[in-house]
Amino acid sequence: MKAAIRHLVRNRRRSLLTLLAVLCPVFALVVMFGFASANLSDMFDTVTRVDTGHLQIRHVDTRAAGSATALMQDPSPAIEALAGIDGIEWHTVRLDLPALASAGDRSRTVLIQGVVPEEIDPISSTRSLIVAGTYLTSDSPGVVIGKELADLLRVGVGDDLVLLGAHPETGVGVLRVPVVGIVDAPIAEMGRSVVQAPLALTRQLARSATAATAVVVRVAGVTGPWDSDRIDAVAAKLRAVLPADYVVLDWRDLVPQVDVFLRILNPALLIVAAIFFGLGALVVLNTVYLSVMERTRELGLILSLGASRGRVMRSILSEAGILAGVGAVGGALGGVGLVWIVEALGGIPLPAEYSAFAKAVGINSVLHLRVDAPQVLLAAAAMAVVAVLAAWVPALRASNLEPVEAMRYVE
Amino acid sequence: MSNSPLIRTIDLRKAYETEAVTTPALCGVDLDLHEKEFTAIAGPSGSGKSTLLHLLGGLDRPTSGEILLEGRPLSGLSKDQLARLRMTSIGFVFQAYNLIPVLTVLENTAFVLELQGVARAERIERARRILGELGIEKYADQFPNRISGGEQQRVAVARAVVSEPSIVLADEPTANLDSAASLELIDLMRRLNEGKGATFLFATHDARLLDRVSRVVTLVDGRISTDEVRDSA
Repeated sequence: MKAAIRHLVRNRRRSLLTLLAVLCPVFALVVMFGFASANLSDMFDTVTRVDTGHLQIRHVDTRAAGSATALMQDPSPAIEALAGIDGIEWHTVRLDLPALASAGDRSRTVLIQGVVPEEIDPISSTRSLIVAGTYLTSDSPGVVIGKELADLLRVGVGDDLVLLGAHPETGVGVLRVPVVGIVDAPIAEMGRSVVQAPLALTRQLARSATAATAVVVRVAGVTGPWDSDRIDAVAAKLRAVLPADYVVLDWRDLVPQVDVFLRILNPALLIVAAIFFGLGALVVLNTVYLSVMERTRELGLILSLGASRGRVMRSILSEAGILAGVGAVGGALGGVGLVWIVEALGGIPLPAEYSAFAKAVGINSVLHLRVDAPQVLLAAAAMAVVAVLAAWVPALRASNLEPVEAMRYVE
Repeated sequence: MSNSPLIRTIDLRKAYETEAVTTPALCGVDLDLHEKEFTAIAGPSGSGKSTLLHLLGGLDRPTSGEILLEGRPLSGLSKDQLARLRMTSIGFVFQAYNLIPVLTVLENTAFVLELQGVARAERIERARRILGELGIEKYADQFPNRISGGEQQRVAVARAVVSEPSIVLADEPTANLDSAASLELIDLMRRLNEGKGATFLFATHDARLLDRVSRVVTLVDGRISTDEVRDSA
């Protein structure tokens, strides 16, 4: 080991290059995975907190005529079914109703999200997104709209909206309601097309005192899409106890485009990781091979003195192993350090021209990084193993040298 | 000196082959070497001295013929068995590039003992002792590039004898040394031969050194031309 370290110190430049060939990919992967992980988590959180929940119980027909969600005239059997299921963090009833929102001579097709404000408040981020006015209360007749919709309809807090609700199962209802709050919605399309209203008010518009379109459920212990097993387990239990005229949909069914994005992202990250590993391995192979070439006479001497081929291999691999280990740990610590610094500074704000795009796809306009310990360990360990495997080829060559020929070798 | 030879070669031949040419290096060498001998192999360049030493040391394989080391034929040994034989029974001193540059003089001297699995404390003690006997203990913690060529060759001799092998093979050990250093090195080897009973066989083309040996085997064109036993110098 001492000799291996001295060899590495003796050839500082090459050792540094080998070290960097391991360190850089690990550093880049830790940061890349940290970025992906944090923003996946953000996107998942946005979708499941503000819109879909982890699961929804709906009427088995799912869709009514047109694009409207089928109504459950009485959601109480679904709520009762939830009582006996472990692992549920929270649930609430929601009534989504297509409507036309008008103010003056402007109008726009919207989706009214009828909610129980006091129930969604603990988990929803909507209150924190209010940029003008206040959030809803169950006993107030007002609505909250996105600032994009407020701009389109040219309304502000205190102005009235005329909502023309139209559902194929209940007919048409009309209400005039004031705007009590304006939110900066995390997804631009939501800001343009969602109106949040108290459930009771929405039921008036739907002309049904008990109607709902979904019971929205959040599952305990879910921190990101990687916890889908927990969601699936609860969904399976619910399906087993619900009456036949109800169906359980999970977030992947409800926002398949997000699921597709996440499904593409993981293989893409793995491909990038494989490219990093491959490049790192090539550099390690090259530098270790050069080292063996330069030390051919020394290796010939060692073999002449009676060293076994295994010993020669071990000596080359131990040098590669030291560099791989130090590089992997250095890369991991560097990556984790950068994540820590970025988060200590509050994340990376996107330039204004990219913020709109980020919002359109549901990504926070401040990018965050997240350290996922298993991912860091996996990236570091995998790169270290790849580096040692890359060194195997030149180590094998060294061990197969003929002592006399090796000692005659001229660089 | 016992009657059975330490090393015996029987019609030993070696030819180097390329695609177009076969170059004979040894052409039927029959040689017996006995314990405690201090023998020089003399001859001009290209006479086959180094080839003979390489074959005797198990560093290369003959084209035909046989080598018996302590009665044991080398021809059937695998690469790993030959490596083990070199480690346990043969000490080497080469013409140049004798020492491992990243090891200190002490570590170089103890290297073969380390290969043999001797415990650290013991190998350090034995290496220090032999360095002391050869008068180079003061260099124990130096790296090879900090000492002279003559001192490096002394360290190589120390390493060759520290494990008390059956024979020390030295291939032109004085080739890169000046006259004084060459004579000092040969005298040192001779002292080890007389004091410790170490068997030496070394190749040289320096006639001045031959006065100090007890036997001179002269090779010409791969054949033994003379085999002369002398009185101890």
